[in-house]
Amino acid sequence: MDPLTLLLADSRFPSGSYAHSLGLEQAVNDGLRDVPAFIRARQRHVASADARFAVEARRGNVLEDEWYARTPSPVLRESAQRLGSQLLRSAAKIWDVPVARMPRPLALGVVAAAAGVSDEDTALLALYDDAATVASAALKLLPLDPAVTARWLADLAPDLARVAQAIAHDDGPLPSPAAVAIELSAPIHLEQRERLFAS
Amino acid sequence: MRIGVGGPVGSGKSSLIAALCGALAGEARLGVVTNDIYTTEDAEFLRSTGVLPEERITAVQTGGCPHTAIRDDISANLEAVEELEAATGPLDLVFVESGGDNLTAIFSPALADVQIFVIDVAGGDDIPRKGGPGIARADLLVINKTDLAPYVGADDAKMVREASERRGSLPVAPTSLRTEGADQVAGWVRAQLAAFRAHGHLHSSMEGVPDHHHDHDHVH
Ligand SMILES: Nc1nc2c(ncn2[C@@H]2O[C@H](COP(=O)(O)OP(=O)(O)OP(=O)(O)O)[C@@H](O)[C@H]2O)c(=O)[nH]1
Ligand SMILES: [Mg+2]
Repeated sequence: MDPLTLLLADSRFPSGSYAHSLGLEQAVNDGLRDVPAFIRARQRHVASADARFAVEARRGNVLEDEWYARTPSPVLRESAQRLGSQLLRSAAKIWDVPVARMPRPLALGVVAAAAGVSDEDTALLALYDDAATVASAALKLLPLDPAVTARWLADLAPDLARVAQAIAHDDGPLPSPAAVAIELSAPIHLEQRERLFAS
Repeated sequence: MRIGVGGPVGSGKSSLIAALCGALAGEARLGVVTNDIYTTEDAEFLRSTGVLPEERITAVQTGGCPHTAIRDDISANLEAVEELEAATGPLDLVFVESGGDNLTAIFSPALADVQIFVIDVAGGDDIPRKGGPGIARADLLVINKTDLAPYVGADDAKMVREASERRGSLPVAPTSLRTEGADQVAGWVRAQLAAFRAHGHLHSSMEGVPDHHHDHDHVH
């Protein structure tokens, strides 16, 4: 196990994600209560594609246009860019990476390359970061035992490992998933007067 | 130069920033970043006072963790300051207001060159004795709402005395922002700004303070 992978996976690594729910806050506003289902939906429709982009960036293919083509919502683009530049801002104090505005998955790949993290760990980091960010946001949005949210992640572990391995070895065309509900609710969230999270 | 303004909920942080902006607007290019807990109330309040043009005031969302945003993960705040400057041109002084938090919340020295901690008499006159890093070591401790002391049974002179005992040579400023304004604090800020301009940096009294510095010594 690579300690640098642990460092990047650790929520104590300052990269801005504590302020994001990745759509969960608005979903909860709209009545969602099954957070594990939300996490799994994000894994299928968002995180797995992001993980592929992270791996490509890790290999030196920083595919910004292709990523934007899969993320039509300007609100989601903006929050992903913010998260990306915040990650790079901290990483630049450790590794030789630029402080640039780029979507989080691409920034993660750039950082992973500089840190020497493997393709598979890069994919795993992208998948895990997505799930863990939603799980920890859930604690502030719903009455929950924190051990229960940890269990959601543990339950997801076999899938995370399997998908990360597949993505790390995928040389086929870039995936093109669509998470329409998440795209549509992002601007609605932004207009809520009372909200805890930036996304 | 960046000044962090922290302290418990409702102690008068936004009111202090509004008063300071009013006092200093003619002398320095000012900006404000607020760290809101749940709404953009602080930014809206400051905009509504009209002390600064609206584009000089911006809000950061903190995911319910105001102390994280000012201490453990300051990336969003640093970005907000940069965006403010990108939008308005270079600024001489940016106030960063922390979302109202508990007594242990302090600013990272990478975010604030110096910090002001604001408490008030209505929060209880034993607060200075309870201590915490903000009370013990902030570059300036403001004890606000002295006008309310008689109504809440607080002894503001005792608060100043006990705070000063704890703080050694660091300054304590009792204020009543509602009835008297913030002239003394504005004078302190002017001096900080002059020192910053002369030296290019400041030696904050907070430097070297470890996170989660729980100081439970009581003065008997
Ligand atoms: N009586 C009195 N009220 C004051 C004084 N200063 C501020 N207030 C009032 O106290 C309330 C809170 O003031 P704010 O400036 O919003 O306090 P804050 O620390 O920014 O509050 P949060 O951002 O919510 O933590 C407001 O209703 C102010 O008008 C004062 O010196 N005396
Ligand atoms: Mg305020």
